[in-house]
Amino acid sequence: MGENLTALTAWAQNHSETTAFYILAFLAIPFAYGVLLDRRIIRSGFLLIGVFGAISGVFLLLQAQFLAMAQIMIYAVGITLVVVIALMLTNPRLEHDVNPAIPVAKTSGIVVSILLFVTIYLSLRSEIWPLSPSPVKADNVLQIGTGLLTYYSLPFEFASVLLLVALIGAIMLARAEHRPPSQMEERLDAQEDLSSERNDNVVQV
Amino acid sequence: MSNLVSRAVGGLYQVLRGLITVGRHSFRQPITKEFPDITPDLPGAFRGRLALGVNPLTGEHLCISCRQCERVCPDKCIQITSHKSPETNKPELIDFKIDHGLCMFCGLCTEVCPTNCIINTNDFEMSEYTREALVYDLRKLTLSQEESAYYFAKKEVPLPKPKPAKPEAKPAAAAAKPAAEAKPVAEAKPAAATEPAGQAKAADEEKTAAEAKSADEAKAVGQEKEKLVDKSESAAVSAEALEGKDKKQEDK
Amino acid sequence: MATTSLAAVPSGTVPSTGSYNWVEVFKFARLTVIWLVAIFGAVWITCWAAGELLPHLIEMKCGGQGPSRYVIEGLQACTPLLAILVFIPVNAMFMVLCERRALALFTVRKGPNRVGADGLLQTAADAVKLLFKEDITPRGADVVMFTLAPIIFFAPSVFAAVPLLAAVTSNHELFSITNLPTGIFYVLAMSSIPVVGIVMGGWASNNKYSLVGGLRSAAQAIAYEIPLVLSIITICFLSGTLDVVAIAKGQSDGFWHWNLLGGGVLLSVHSAPAIAAAIGLALCCLLLFGIYLTGACAEINRIPFDLPEAESELVSGYNTEYSGIKFAIFFLAEFTNLFIVSTIAAVMFLGGGASPIPGLLDATFFGGAAGQITAGAAVILVGILCLSCKPVPNTGLLSSGWFGWLCFGLQLVIVAVIALLLGGGASLVSNGLTGWPFNQLSAGHAQLKWLFQSLVNPVTFAGMFWALLKVYTLVIFAILVRGTLPRFRIDQLMDFGWKRLIPLSLILLLAVTFLRELV
Repeated sequence: MGENLTALTAWAQNHSETTAFYILAFLAIPFAYGVLLDRRIIRSGFLLIGVFGAISGVFLLLQAQFLAMAQIMIYAVGITLVVVIALMLTNPRLEHDVNPAIPVAKTSGIVVSILLFVTIYLSLRSEIWPLSPSPVKADNVLQIGTGLLTYYSLPFEFASVLLLVALIGAIMLARAEHRPPSQMEERLDAQEDLSSERNDNVVQV
Repeated sequence: MSNLVSRAVGGLYQVLRGLITVGRHSFRQPITKEFPDITPDLPGAFRGRLALGVNPLTGEHLCISCRQCERVCPDKCIQITSHKSPETNKPELIDFKIDHGLCMFCGLCTEVCPTNCIINTNDFEMSEYTREALVYDLRKLTLSQEESAYYFAKKEVPLPKPKPAKPEAKPAAAAAKPAAEAKPVAEAKPAAATEPAGQAKAADEEKTAAEAKSADEAKAVGQEKEKLVDKSESAAVSAEALEGKDKKQEDK
Repeated sequence: MATTSLAAVPSGTVPSTGSYNWVEVFKFARLTVIWLVAIFGAVWITCWAAGELLPHLIEMKCGGQGPSRYVIEGLQACTPLLAILVFIPVNAMFMVLCERRALALFTVRKGPNRVGADGLLQTAADAVKLLFKEDITPRGADVVMFTLAPIIFFAPSVFAAVPLLAAVTSNHELFSITNLPTGIFYVLAMSSIPVVGIVMGGWASNNKYSLVGGLRSAAQAIAYEIPLVLSIITICFLSGTLDVVAIAKGQSDGFWHWNLLGGGVLLSVHSAPAIAAAIGLALCCLLLFGIYLTGACAEINRIPFDLPEAESELVSGYNTEYSGIKFAIFFLAEFTNLFIVSTIAAVMFLGGGASPIPGLLDATFFGGAAGQITAGAAVILVGILCLSCKPVPNTGLLSSGWFGWLCFGLQLVIVAVIALLLGGGASLVSNGLTGWPFNQLSAGHAQLKWLFQSLVNPVTFAGMFWALLKVYTLVIFAILVRGTLPRFRIDQLMDFGWKRLIPLSLILLLAVTFLRELV
């Protein structure tokens, strides 16, 4: 036991980066399962923050400080908070709906996730991942900026168009419905009728 | 656009003005009165501990046991014990209890009191170690003559002068009262009957004159002045009253 | 509004003997000086003990090799963290007191002046009280998240302060370890986390007021974080780096080099269009400073943006259900956040630890005769401030009458003696410890010499002094704003954030980018 432990510590000292990665992974995966399995949906929203935090740790291990910070700032705080607020404002019955999904939906879900997993696996395996022995420069903001505006400018623009579409869609959804004035009056009239009826009832009582 | 800019600049200017004004306030004399060191000079309308006044001139108790305060009290914290005097056929006070733990100092009792007997004093330091100690009986409630004079002057209520002057009820009651032995106020009354009588009379004359004057002036000049006159008039009395109060606190 | 209230107060009710009341202002200054000296001294001694003294002792005893090397390096690496851990609670304690006293000044009151001498220990007493209060968890609350919320609220503000340490200590060798290449971005990312704690606490409390407070806080933080970050990014464009030490260093050599005034462009141009561009740039930077202060105020939920904890509407919002130590942590974190956003402002816009006028109280200053005289005079002034006050009644420290005057005189004598001693010491230090008593020391006294030389570091001292001065100026400005402005309405708040501040900061970003090229 003691020998094993000393061997382990020696290994950990030599492979500190790998050790840190495994620690982060063992943090991230339970958090991710928590997101899926926790019945209280708000809580799973908060667990998502933990997942993003662990991922930002992975970015730090890759010496991408800027990306790690952006991950915390945008994903862990900004986006997840919006998600949590959206959940808080939606139907609270979601929390208590413990009915198992319909079998068809269940099987189709399993099939889709397997397909997705296989696709991701294959695409990851087909790609060549060059490893450069030279350490990353500490100030890698310059590299990110250059990459975004030269080699990756097309995906970058696509992403911004996607965001724009999402923004316009959100505005369209949230915009107050414009009715012609006549309809408005009708609605008001209907309300007045209702209220007068109510008054009548009160009088009768 | 220019409208927007002008509005923004105007808003900033207003905020800046506000900041400067508040900043200037830091050089003003603070209005804080550090309480245990400096007892605040409360206005006469302050509603503090309830008390029963006596006639500042004659020293007789002003309560006529009409029980209006008991009836109007929302908390039912007033309890009056009285009996009908066999001689005068008038109600006579035996005991008067106020539970200050229940009282919410609304002042309704002082408003209904026909003789201005029950009043809210300016005293607010009445903490005790037990709840029972907050139930004040007649002896603890009744003010001394000086204190009554002080509060009558401070609250600017008309003095109960007509009471001894009234021919039918009051003198009779006053005459009858020494006979009734069940008075805890008894200590106050012989004093009223014997030696301070002359003093009281002198004070009475002075006061009537001063009051007539002050009433005239009040119409002409306003409240401030009247207050001043009242103060000068009752300065000696109130000083005595304060002394009495201090002594009482020492006793406590 | 304010002027009418002034007019409404009849002059008779204010017992003003003179037109000005310097006593309270003087007492406030005295309190600030005493506390700041205490905080500064505590942090300085801790850092010195952990970073210099202990490693020195270990090196003497065990030599600098082997395992003792690790201990020494570990101690030196821990020094910044230790500095922060000592600094933050003590500083928050002082800031609460400072806020209460300053607010009392602005609202024509006296504030807490009973506990200790002239209220010096008021917040210490409050802290002890809070620690001993019962820690209640409401029924139906999510216990784990209810407990986690104050930690998530407080911990990031501790970590956020780390890179700023390097900037305010003029990159002292013990603190340069904290200097990250993406420094300011790290600080911003860390200071954006606390809002998660607020939402979490609000939701976990099982209380509708808390929930509404948490929701408001989230909405507000998301809205105002954008202009805040945009204003900081614009300043980064201007400086050309994210490194806080480099940004602070770029603003040294006088206040005209501050980013607040365009980062030194005002004096370095000669042609007419360039001058116009420089003035435009300076105006843009002033506006950016305003945007930053507004956004920061909203980010840390201070009046006029205190909707998440509006006492009158939400019974103090997200921390309604908290009590005892958890509430204390929330309270501590709020003031720490105020301190940190002020520090960011001081580093980004006001030159961090750099002296506003070159040669005034910076490292070069401590060598000359002027430095010795000023050091002595400053020590005398600080001593008088600390120990004495005109004997007026009810100060708590002195009583009036002949005894008070006697005490006053005695204090003056004591202060004069201490000041003479310290002033002499300061002048010795400013000579680099090579003057009279030190050239008499033989080799056997090298330890003593080392002790003095490692304890006093004029460069870091000057940096800390100016940084604290700038930060506390901003803090007191925040208190003044709190004493002045009423609370926003929620729709006005959102309107102001999304429709005014964000477009304005985007425009300024573009303007600064182009004007910088023109200058």
